[in-house]
Amino acid sequence: MSHAFAPGHPPTLPATPPAAPGTPAAPGRPGRDRYLDLLRSLALVRVVVYHLFGWAWLTILFPSMGVMFALAGSLMARSLKRPAQGVVKGRIRRLLPPMWVFSAAVLLLLFAGGWSVGDDPDHGGAWGPVSLANYVFPVGAPPFPWHLGDKAGLLEDTWPAQAAGPLWYIRAYLWFVIASPLLLWAFRRAPWVTLAAPLALTAVIGTGLVTIPGETGNAVTDFAQYGSCWVLGFAHQDGTLARVPRYLAVSAATLVMALGLWWASGHLGPDGWDLNDIPLAQAAWSFGFVVILLQYAPSWRELPGRLAKWDKLVTLSNNRAVTIYLWHNLLIMATVPIIDLAYDLPFMADERWSSALDTTYMLWMTLLVWPLIGLMVVAVGWVEDLAAKRRPRLWPNGAGASSRGRRAVAR
Amino acid sequence: MNLRTDPGGSPRPQHGRTQHVHPPHSHPQNGPALNSTLHTGHRAPAGHTPRGVRPKGRRGKGRRGKAAPARRRRLPLRYLLPSLLLVALLAMLMLRGYVHSEIAADHRVRPPAPTDHVPEKILEGGPVIDTRGGRETTMSVPDHRLVLTFDDGPDPEWTPKVLDVLKEHHAHGVFFVTGTMASRHPGLVQRMVDEGHEVGLHTFNHPDLSYQSESRIDRELSQNQLALAGAAGIRTSLFRPPYSSFADAMDDKSYPVTKHIGSRGYLTVVNNTDSEDWKRPGVDEIIRRATPEGGKGAIVLMHDSGGDRSQTVAALDRFLPALQKQGYEFGNLTEALDAPSAHTKVSGVELWKGKSWVFLVGAAEHITDGLVVALAVIGVLVFTRFGLMLLLSAAHARRVRRRDFRWGPPVTEPVSVLVPAYNEAKCIEATVRSLMASDHPIEVVVIDDGSSDGTARIVEGLRLPYVRVVRQLNAGKPAALNRGLANASHDIVVMMDGDTVFEESTVRELVQPFADPRVGAVAGNAKVGNRDSLIGAWQHIEYVMGFNLDRRMYDVLRCMPTIPGAVGAFRRSALERVGGMSDDTLAEDTDITMALHRDGWRVVYAEKARAWTEAPETVQQLWSQRYRWSYGTMQAIWKHRRAVVERGPSGRFGRVGLPLVSLFMVLAPLLAPLIDVFLLYGLLFGPTEKTVAAWLGVLAVQAVCAAYAFRLDRERMTHLISLPLQQILYRQLMYVVLLQSWITALTGGRLRWQKLRRTGVLDAPGAIPRQRSGSHDRSPVA
Repeated sequence: MSHAFAPGHPPTLPATPPAAPGTPAAPGRPGRDRYLDLLRSLALVRVVVYHLFGWAWLTILFPSMGVMFALAGSLMARSLKRPAQGVVKGRIRRLLPPMWVFSAAVLLLLFAGGWSVGDDPDHGGAWGPVSLANYVFPVGAPPFPWHLGDKAGLLEDTWPAQAAGPLWYIRAYLWFVIASPLLLWAFRRAPWVTLAAPLALTAVIGTGLVTIPGETGNAVTDFAQYGSCWVLGFAHQDGTLARVPRYLAVSAATLVMALGLWWASGHLGPDGWDLNDIPLAQAAWSFGFVVILLQYAPSWRELPGRLAKWDKLVTLSNNRAVTIYLWHNLLIMATVPIIDLAYDLPFMADERWSSALDTTYMLWMTLLVWPLIGLMVVAVGWVEDLAAKRRPRLWPNGAGASSRGRRAVAR
Repeated sequence: MNLRTDPGGSPRPQHGRTQHVHPPHSHPQNGPALNSTLHTGHRAPAGHTPRGVRPKGRRGKGRRGKAAPARRRRLPLRYLLPSLLLVALLAMLMLRGYVHSEIAADHRVRPPAPTDHVPEKILEGGPVIDTRGGRETTMSVPDHRLVLTFDDGPDPEWTPKVLDVLKEHHAHGVFFVTGTMASRHPGLVQRMVDEGHEVGLHTFNHPDLSYQSESRIDRELSQNQLALAGAAGIRTSLFRPPYSSFADAMDDKSYPVTKHIGSRGYLTVVNNTDSEDWKRPGVDEIIRRATPEGGKGAIVLMHDSGGDRSQTVAALDRFLPALQKQGYEFGNLTEALDAPSAHTKVSGVELWKGKSWVFLVGAAEHITDGLVVALAVIGVLVFTRFGLMLLLSAAHARRVRRRDFRWGPPVTEPVSVLVPAYNEAKCIEATVRSLMASDHPIEVVVIDDGSSDGTARIVEGLRLPYVRVVRQLNAGKPAALNRGLANASHDIVVMMDGDTVFEESTVRELVQPFADPRVGAVAGNAKVGNRDSLIGAWQHIEYVMGFNLDRRMYDVLRCMPTIPGAVGAFRRSALERVGGMSDDTLAEDTDITMALHRDGWRVVYAEKARAWTEAPETVQQLWSQRYRWSYGTMQAIWKHRRAVVERGPSGRFGRVGLPLVSLFMVLAPLLAPLIDVFLLYGLLFGPTEKTVAAWLGVLAVQAVCAAYAFRLDRERMTHLISLPLQQILYRQLMYVVLLQSWITALTGGRLRWQKLRRTGVLDAPGAIPRQRSGSHDRSPVA
């Protein structure tokens, strides 16, 4: 509970009250809601840290995926004021090129590692080669070998799974984008049903009443799991959420979250409380969490107070969200061979130094991954600009007024 | 579990804030006030200092600029102290849980494993295994010597009896004590050492060591030694692994542990004669099993802990003399082996650490026992209170809702309504206009308490009949009310806040009880207007429960502690008898109500006299409001403490009302954090399900009471959905406030007045009501 507003202060509110959450930007003035930008940056950082350390509790602390889908849903609903076909096309056009760059890199590495999709027992048969098309247009998550190379190799033998793992998000995002016109139509007719339907679907799938095999099953599970968050984005965008009395929204959200935790407690996965392994818990927890985040959405034009100094990083990570998301896991793995170089340093022969490196290994990974991400942003980030039909920029952190103006038009 | 810290017994919305109030029940014939969005400003009875020494005029100037830094300095303390206290309590609970093996206990036992890697000479050797310094040898006890060993103690009930029997027969033995038990019963360890027995380690927590890491094994041993050092000032070199039996039971999993422990300098002592006394096979059977054949020496395994050991004690009593007759000696291990004692004295830091450990564990045990008793007291209090409230409020509602219920002949005489106002420019018009719609003849006296925002001029500008404005230099709310009283023309006086809105029937309903000449004051029913924010909904629940359960209960018990400042009526003659309002306390409304009780007047509750008020919307505002009530109530109780020993009505109030009020409002809430401490402990360390179930059970009771209160007030039940959240966020805030009031009271600190922040949203008078949902955008919290 904030203490920023001490009694006795002059009213801290701006002379013009901030726009209601329903209208994040004043009509006619395109602008970004920096609160939502901040949430997206937090979600990205959380994802990277989670992939570094694998701490299960991070999924409870901040359900990143739910937040990201809600934000995307909100933007989608805003765009869908224009004709749907063009919007969907535009979204896909902006999404795919950065992914192609990543796909190309991964496939190159896979084939260089000696992977042949036809011979892979997991992806064998006639569908194997066809499923490679998912690297181009991800209706399903692209195939990858669970093990490639050898344990003692430069990278761990599970690197393809680690590298290509995040691609499920692209597939889910694509599904949501394509389904959005329909979802929005349904939401306008029956908002509460549309909000609750994905949760109900997750309950049906998550409790094992119905199981859908294979990649289709994964896709449907993901769609259902985060569908309510995506639709919450709609509800935030058109002000439906803000019209629900706050006590009701927050209390009900808390109850849903409690149910999610209760479900999780009885269905712990291989990593315990990692909600990523417990769809129903993930869906419920993310839903409630996002409701609360959006209920209190303050609609910032600028990051207030102490947050202001993070402005550039927030801007950069928002402009390069896709790049960061796609590449971060591969880069986390790339830190390993780089740090291993340190073992060849002359003083490392000393047992004390090498064991010191052993114990601080995660720390170095954590420190190293960020510059690597920065490098990748410079190296391939500009593809995002190209895909959005903008002038490519190397480091779009919003410095300088001109880029600020462009950024406003960006989404 | 609702140990509300509300000092007034129920909410007294005397100070709201600039907000909109619009009652849901609007009547077509309402004046503009009720149909329009009403701005009620916060009236700050500022400038009080606890004992009424208040520099005049201080209130008016520069508060806004000054309050902030002062606030910031005090912020840490009000959270720091309670949270430190909670952390300390939780740490004590955890320490107790640790030595009671509720935390970090591991009850797995490994099934037998292959024995290929255990040397033959160990498997076939004696029960004392020496693996120190790379050795792998065993020793046996010479013939006609028996070493009695007792595992798992010391136990407060059975160990003394075992020691008594041994003493009686001049026998010695070896006690393999666990760290947990030794920490809890250090005196018994000291007695063992004093009486010539030997003490060995049996680990701290009694886990199967073959499952544990080396570091955990080392920790088990060192903590066990720590407990020994603290209990008896010694270290020992004897060790017996948990779940051990004979030497030939060593296997590939347990032998490495034995070797590791040897490398730490310990002798591992297993046994070769198992009495199996823990199975309680009967005294004869224990004796039979414990007796070695043909005068051989043996190490006999027995237990002095872990359940009923009466058979062990009885067996010893026969076994010892019988075998002594056969020529056996009962020495401790090193006596039997003719070796130097296994004990070494510890001193210096080691000893000091051990003593502190044992002291802390002892403290944790006592504190926990105390906490459990306190929790039980709390439970009884809470449920008694709930039961009492339900019963008495049902009785009250049935009585006053009977069709033929009358206070007496209808009261139709005109009344004076006093509206003390300090900088209420934003709300005063709505307040006054709502009074104009009253269906009871009234005169309105607005007392402007030195406002600087033109409050008085606004009222004068309305040019309403029967409305008078009295100006005074800034002197505080009690002084304003006294001035209003002096200016009031009628014998019945209604008091309200400048930020409150009455319904048209409020005044009429409020004054009807005066038909009974014994009634000196009447409390109305204050309702929260801004109930759609989270913090508003919580206060709404609190108000509805406070007015419909607490106040009805106090009405029946004739000890209502407070007439809410937002809506109350007084008989002028009663007020004059007790000397009017006083600024002795921060809660002048509680003060005056107690004074009326002591003077023998009845104080009753009029449920239909509804007044709409704006509840604080931020934690800071709520905090400062409740701090004032809380501290003010303590002051009022203290001020009227002499009633306890007086005669007549004052004595009755002093012996019934005051203790009740103190118990429910000042003492019980102080213990409320215990519920959360135990909840947290139960959630973290188990039994989790039972803890959650218990919490939900209490919540259900709470919900039933709340639902009943809502039904009595004919409120919609939807707001009850925020009850669970209220229980895990709001209640805690309330007891932090109460704790802070206690700290202020005990340290004699002075409460600086905090002017509540205005939101600065202003509608034109009579404007179209704004949507409620829009208003919460302004609140930074909740």
